[in-house]
Amino acid sequence: MKQLQRWFQLNNWSIRYKLIFHFLLISIVPSMGIGLLMGWTANGIVEKQVNSHTTQLIDSVNKSLDTYAGNIQNISYFIAMDPEIQSFLREGESAIDDDGERYRMSKFLQSFTTLYSEVAGIIVVRANGDYFSNEMYARTGKSLTEESWYQEAVQAKGIFKIIGHPAGRNVTTHANYKESEVVSVVRAIQNPDTQRTEGVVLIDLKLRVIAETVRDVRLGKSGFLMVVNDEGERIYMPRNANLGSADLKQLSGQSSGTFSQTVNGRRLQFTYQKSPFTNWTTVGVFAVSDSAQEIKDINLYLVAFVSIVCMLGIAASYYLSHSISRPISQLTSFMRKVEEGNMTIRIPVEREDEMGVLGRSFNKMLSQITRLISQVREEQQLKREAELRSLQAHIQPHFLYNTLDTIQWLARKDGAQEATEMVETLSKLFRLGLSKGQEFISLADEIEHIRSYLKIQQTRYKEKLNYRIDMDENCGDMPVLKLILQPIVENAIYHGIKERRGPGLVEVRASVAGGMLNLTVRDDGAGMKEERLEALRATLEAVSAPAVAAGSSEATEAGRRLNGLSASYGLWNVQERIRLSFGESYGITLESKEKAGTIVTIKHPIQLRKEETAHGKDLESSHSG
Amino acid sequence: MKKLLMVYIVLIGTLMVYLYMAFVRGDDSGLLNESEGLHGSMDQKYVMVNFLTGIDYWKNGLKGFEDAAEALGVSVEYRGSTQYDVQEEVMVLEQVIARNPAGIAVSAINSEALNAAINKAVDAGIPVVMFDSDAPDSKAYSFLGTDNYKAGVTAAHKMAELTGGIGKIGIITHPNQLNLQERTRGFEETIRASYPDLKLAGVEDGKGDQLVSEQKAVQLLARNPDLKGIFVTEANGGVGAGNAILRGAKLNQVRVISFDTDKGTLDMVKSGTIAATIAQGTWNMGYWSLMQLFHLRNDIVEPKANWRGSNISPVPVYVDTGVTVVTKADVDHYYAK
Repeated sequence: MKQLQRWFQLNNWSIRYKLIFHFLLISIVPSMGIGLLMGWTANGIVEKQVNSHTTQLIDSVNKSLDTYAGNIQNISYFIAMDPEIQSFLREGESAIDDDGERYRMSKFLQSFTTLYSEVAGIIVVRANGDYFSNEMYARTGKSLTEESWYQEAVQAKGIFKIIGHPAGRNVTTHANYKESEVVSVVRAIQNPDTQRTEGVVLIDLKLRVIAETVRDVRLGKSGFLMVVNDEGERIYMPRNANLGSADLKQLSGQSSGTFSQTVNGRRLQFTYQKSPFTNWTTVGVFAVSDSAQEIKDINLYLVAFVSIVCMLGIAASYYLSHSISRPISQLTSFMRKVEEGNMTIRIPVEREDEMGVLGRSFNKMLSQITRLISQVREEQQLKREAELRSLQAHIQPHFLYNTLDTIQWLARKDGAQEATEMVETLSKLFRLGLSKGQEFISLADEIEHIRSYLKIQQTRYKEKLNYRIDMDENCGDMPVLKLILQPIVENAIYHGIKERRGPGLVEVRASVAGGMLNLTVRDDGAGMKEERLEALRATLEAVSAPAVAAGSSEATEAGRRLNGLSASYGLWNVQERIRLSFGESYGITLESKEKAGTIVTIKHPIQLRKEETAHGKDLESSHSG
Repeated sequence: MKKLLMVYIVLIGTLMVYLYMAFVRGDDSGLLNESEGLHGSMDQKYVMVNFLTGIDYWKNGLKGFEDAAEALGVSVEYRGSTQYDVQEEVMVLEQVIARNPAGIAVSAINSEALNAAINKAVDAGIPVVMFDSDAPDSKAYSFLGTDNYKAGVTAAHKMAELTGGIGKIGIITHPNQLNLQERTRGFEETIRASYPDLKLAGVEDGKGDQLVSEQKAVQLLARNPDLKGIFVTEANGGVGAGNAILRGAKLNQVRVISFDTDKGTLDMVKSGTIAATIAQGTWNMGYWSLMQLFHLRNDIVEPKANWRGSNISPVPVYVDTGVTVVTKADVDHYYAK
């Protein structure tokens, strides 16, 4: 159940099937609808036409049957009017004893069969059973007045009456017309004064005539006409008709109409119309399936049309959906590969539509991500390396420091006061330098560390080196990158003070200005030449955080050039560390004048919390700045 | 792509199945059982043309014609001159030809008058056969009828048998008609050749009419009171001659041999007025006329690959429908049942 529901949720289908489904819906359902509607309408129209056509045929057949019947009726009137016949009816056989009379009468009757070849025979029967005919005679001696047709004629009181097939009558035709081959018509001749029946004229009409009128009418493929009289007796039916046990009771009492019936497993349509003159009903019979030839044709065209629409529709929807969904699924599969970690993949873009744009964006995004990833990796590595370097720089001091402790302890034991102090300062320096491997230390510690360093150097250089350290209040707690001052102070001593004549002064200041911490190392040493200063500045400026992170050629080149600029390695190292940690807005600025000294300023951000490794945040701020 | 191909195959398959269902497997067993073999159509109309159309003699021939039409499923029409009138028959035949029927069976009122019309019809491609009374010089394909000379011979032998071969006999005929001439000739020649004791008292013209023939018979009897027999070459005259001997009360003296089997003649044979009558195969004339016409019309006959243009006739040029002698003993067979 749930499954089904899920299946019916269009949103769960793949785009391709969704598209195909909708395209098919739009193309095929209407065409099928039109097809069905048209087929249905055409069916109706054809059926109506077939019915009206059949009715017309039946109508014309009825008209010609009426004409024949009318002719026969007229013959019966002529016969009744003939004086010879009248006298025969009045007087019986005696009237025609005379040969001439008989001859004339037979000539007269012959004239009718001459004019109307459809007449098979005429017989005139007197009320007493005497009869006269050219071609018909009684089979037995029984009086013809007892015949049923005679009785019917008498009952009809001078009205012309069609009997139908004269079954089992006592009259035969000399030319051997079987009862099934003729239709009998009777009319009583009445005395106009007494209304007594004087006799009956019986005329046999050849069925052939009716058959020829009816037989060649074809309804549909194999439909036919038949003629039934009012008693349901079949006057005419094609000999080869297989109507089986069709029930024609429905015909009685109706003057016209249609009905259908199943005979021998075949649905038949009966259309019938009764002629009031002959009292015969002409019935058109055709198989319902027959009338469908035109319908079949129409249906064929419709089916062909719908099929073609289906094929085109399916092909079109398939390709359309394919063209839309394929790039999407391609994109999806690329995405999956990327998910699996393959970052080198690129979508081939040869389209210009939205899909192409999407692909291009995807490619751009991927390369962006790749770059970022490698940048991060690079940064991490550089940090590691820097740390490693400082670690290595610490390991020796660590051992040294322990040794120094021992020396201090030995010196104190021996009472060498100066040496003890010296060693203590050295070990403090080392301890601060090590600072348990932390990256950040408080500014106070850093200053303390520089103080120890300067003290040791002073011990070495005696009065050639003087130093002063200023630190604004309330910035002692600020965390700073450790060991950023020492290389610069070292530079100031070795390249500034050491190179000058006479004593020199190294000033270290820490102050807060412009929202950042400024650490200044000033010496009044030798200074440097203009070009060297420019070169140094360029070198330091070239150290950009991303460049460093990406390990770009620029940075390495700068590193290489530093080999030529001895003693600026310390500067470069500090610059690199600061920029790696905080971005390009921080770092070292140089001012120097030959024979006057050098001022190195470190711009360091103010770190509020010591515990947090805030450099990520600062990276962000640097980026947004 | 594979799926699409599958869908297409299914679609096309469905279409094919539909077409197959609609047209190949269409139920051909109609309401009408298809006729096997020879089968025409109702719009083929064959016409029988003769003269004195009303007389009973033609009725059996027409019945045969109709029965054949029924068997083949074609339609027929019966036309001709109502009177004994050469011009009328020619005119009727011309009218019939003008309506371009499928075929015409003609009984010629005389052996010459219809030739032009018949030839015209044959040239126009309308098959024509002659029945009962021939027009030998016409282009009609065939003649179906009694060998009248032989019928006359048969009648002569019967007459000899009835009269014992001795005495005077008369003939009532209708000299303008070829068939009656032949009967008369066969009768006369056989009498002369085989029965020297039989004398021909005279040949009378009964005009094919009952009353005229009666008068002629009366005249014959008046001229030859010892007349032993009368041979009448056609039916109406037979009844007339019968009436004449009844009136003259010569029933036991004069043996009448008549022709044909219409009701009046049969009644007289039954009552003994007429001693014998010669029955012709009239039904067969009509029936086989139509059969021949049908075969000619539908090109069913092919005696030789290229019989057209040669003198080869596609149908039998002469069909003898035969005669039988009807006497009181077997007259009942000839009544309609």
